[in-house]
Amino acid sequence: MSQLNGVIATSRFGYGAIENELLLANKSPKSWLIKQLSQQPAVTFDEKLPHSNDVFAQLFEYRKLKRAQKKAQTKDMSLAEDKKIKNPARKFLIQFSADTLMQAIQSNHSLNWRLLDFFSNHFSVTAAGPVMAGIAPTLEREAIAPNLLGNFEDILLSVTQHPAMLIYLNNEKSFGPHSRLGKRGLGLNENLAREILELHTLGVNSGYQQSDVIALAKGITGWSVARPKRNEGQGFVYRVNGHEPGSFTLLGKSYSAKNQQQGINMLKDLANHPKTARHLCYKLAHHFISDTPSEKLLAQLTRRWMATKGNIKEVMITLINSDEAWQAQKQKFKSPREFFISSLRALNINDATPYLSGKKNNSVKNDRMHKKTHRKPTSRKLINTLTELGQRPFNAGSPAGYSDKQEDWDGSSALMAKIDWIANLASKMNSNAETILNNTLGDTASELTYNMVLRAESREKALTLLLMSPELVRR
Amino acid sequence: MKRRDFIKSLAASLVLFQPTSFASELLSSNNKIPQNSLSTDKKIIWVVLRGAMDSLHTVVPTFDKNLPLLRPKLFSSIKDNLLMLDNRYGLHPSLQSMHQWYKNKELMPIVAVSSGYKKRSHFDGQDFLESGLKAINFDSGWLGRAVDIKAKSALALANSMPISLRSSKLAKTWYPSRLKDADDDIYNSLLKMYQNDKVLQQRLTEGVSVQEMAGSMGNSTKRKGKFIELSKACAKLMSGKNGVDCAMLELGGWDTHNNQASRLKRQLSELDHGLTALKTGLHDQWQNTVVIVATEFGRTAKENGTGGTDHGTASAMFLAGGAIKGGKVLGNWPGLKNQQLFEQRDLMPTTNTFSWLASLLAQHWSFNDEQLSVVFPQVKKQKIILV
Repeated sequence: MSQLNGVIATSRFGYGAIENELLLANKSPKSWLIKQLSQQPAVTFDEKLPHSNDVFAQLFEYRKLKRAQKKAQTKDMSLAEDKKIKNPARKFLIQFSADTLMQAIQSNHSLNWRLLDFFSNHFSVTAAGPVMAGIAPTLEREAIAPNLLGNFEDILLSVTQHPAMLIYLNNEKSFGPHSRLGKRGLGLNENLAREILELHTLGVNSGYQQSDVIALAKGITGWSVARPKRNEGQGFVYRVNGHEPGSFTLLGKSYSAKNQQQGINMLKDLANHPKTARHLCYKLAHHFISDTPSEKLLAQLTRRWMATKGNIKEVMITLINSDEAWQAQKQKFKSPREFFISSLRALNINDATPYLSGKKNNSVKNDRMHKKTHRKPTSRKLINTLTELGQRPFNAGSPAGYSDKQEDWDGSSALMAKIDWIANLASKMNSNAETILNNTLGDTASELTYNMVLRAESREKALTLLLMSPELVRR
Repeated sequence: MKRRDFIKSLAASLVLFQPTSFASELLSSNNKIPQNSLSTDKKIIWVVLRGAMDSLHTVVPTFDKNLPLLRPKLFSSIKDNLLMLDNRYGLHPSLQSMHQWYKNKELMPIVAVSSGYKKRSHFDGQDFLESGLKAINFDSGWLGRAVDIKAKSALALANSMPISLRSSKLAKTWYPSRLKDADDDIYNSLLKMYQNDKVLQQRLTEGVSVQEMAGSMGNSTKRKGKFIELSKACAKLMSGKNGVDCAMLELGGWDTHNNQASRLKRQLSELDHGLTALKTGLHDQWQNTVVIVATEFGRTAKENGTGGTDHGTASAMFLAGGAIKGGKVLGNWPGLKNQQLFEQRDLMPTTNTFSWLASLLAQHWSFNDEQLSVVFPQVKKQKIILV
């Protein structure tokens, strides 16, 4: 039996096959995928890593210590050389980002991790500045993952009320001009509202007006984040004093509910709007299938979305069952992130780990350190490599996220970076290229690729050629 | 195999399939006859500021009585330290070098310009600015069309091809990397493996040739993608016999919805330092160079509730370089009274960004009207001497 559909299932929908996965997927590709969507919970993270509330608490603690140190230093110059207090945010950013990568690399239901990445990028937040660095990576863990296979309105609401999004798009200090806080000189900021309409829901050029942006901005005034020093509790907080009073008209409908409910009603309607359905279905098809999904497929997906209140699992099943999903021709270049994860899945992370650690040649000082660095790649190394490949996690720099168009990833310098990384990694590894070829491409490798890999003059070169083959650079 | 030999063989092997314009360019560059230097040495550097730069905080119209009313906090944060250009406009205090250039007649700010895009979405606005057409075409950029017409070589300092240069086969990308280069032998084998994959084949050829150009720079630029580092690398890649004619740089971070005073102070100084590095790195070539700095749109005339500004319409652009007949501020000032604002909110555009780019192409790269109509089909060029 040809392994084509197994390869499509594992690489178009997942992050490429890990050992033995291709055979499993190939038996019944559609149900192999659909079964992943029943996984409960859809994805799991390292439980030892902190919640955003703890991140805030530690940031607060850090600032307090820093202030105290400064004070002590100005009193007594001799203390200037005192130990440096480090901002914990960067450390969290690296740990969180590396955890997501490691989970995706090792997962046997990588479709769900692809979906998480899709929505994390759809609701892109950038880790700029000391607060966002620690908070940005918690958005996908706390607001997206728990709702990943549920209804879109739940994702939208959790994301919009998560501190990472509120701070990133400046809503935490956006207050109605006629609210009590507004009368004290604090004002409206329309940034989050605009991006909700343009990026998160309806999509650009979907016909909304500047007045709709303002209406939504007013509807979510007062949606803010607790400040630790004020003893306001933790996380999302609704500041009634900052909410613009009155009813507002969004897309021709008047919203008169009071307080927080006003914004919630607006967001729910936006989440279930036909234009949102169309926008998100297009993005999903574009992400998973090809840059030019057919009108027929889009109509099918959008219908399913509208019929199921934007149920992500149901829409994905429709996508998986469509003919277009199984076209033989590879449709997209892997993004650097996809390439990075799928290469490490193909190589088997346990084999690749010693060479990712970056500490291989350092003399090991004691046992404790030895245990720590021997098998686990340093998180920093993972992130640095992905940065070199052009897609540092939580660093898109714009709320639109990283591009999902293949022409944005097929530049020559991006290709050179991939080659350089793979060649360096391959030069240190002993893996058997033929086994990896069978595990990832099965019988679908072209004759040219197959021959070049098997006849390569060295193990190292064989591995580089395989991982850089057109079949593994595209999906 | 020496890298130069490798590229020759690589280019030669490409001819077997289909001589891409890139390969034929490589072949011809190996036995290049010195061309008449006047016309070919004229360089253009296109700098896109992503995120919508606030022009009212950058080229500040101090004469407009409404400015302090609309922006009490923002204006007062800079008003005492402005670098005055004439008795009307002052540059932001961070733009020290650019101010000096203005005095040397090497800088020309143009106020109240817009690409014609009026919907306030960053991403559409940028695509529109880069595309230069009546409607966005993701596969064709104005600079790409321009370099094709004049057969100029072009380079984007980016990981992938930005829309501005996307249609051109003469354009390449380069971005610094800390990874050690793989062996030429690997590139050679990969090229063979990519023989049925035109895109991968072309990207690899481009990548190797640009790597060779960059290789002579040593390790200093193989560092982070900071604007100043990219600018330095850009200057080097444009210098010398095989330097490219045209380059594109990008600088993000202009979306100042909050804390604008401190954020723009940082941003503008990063811009100023980067442009200075370009000038330093280009040495004598600076005399033949025009740097164009533009952004997708401007920001609201009024400051918002969080010490920032929201998405607007008209902004400013800069022309700089030794080739520029600068020392004056161009563009008509629309005024900041409520009824003078676009939708009673944004600075009103008075000229089209593309009309300035068109006249620049006409004057600097000798474009005739027919050629210009391919690059910017929808605009007429300005009749002002720029270079």
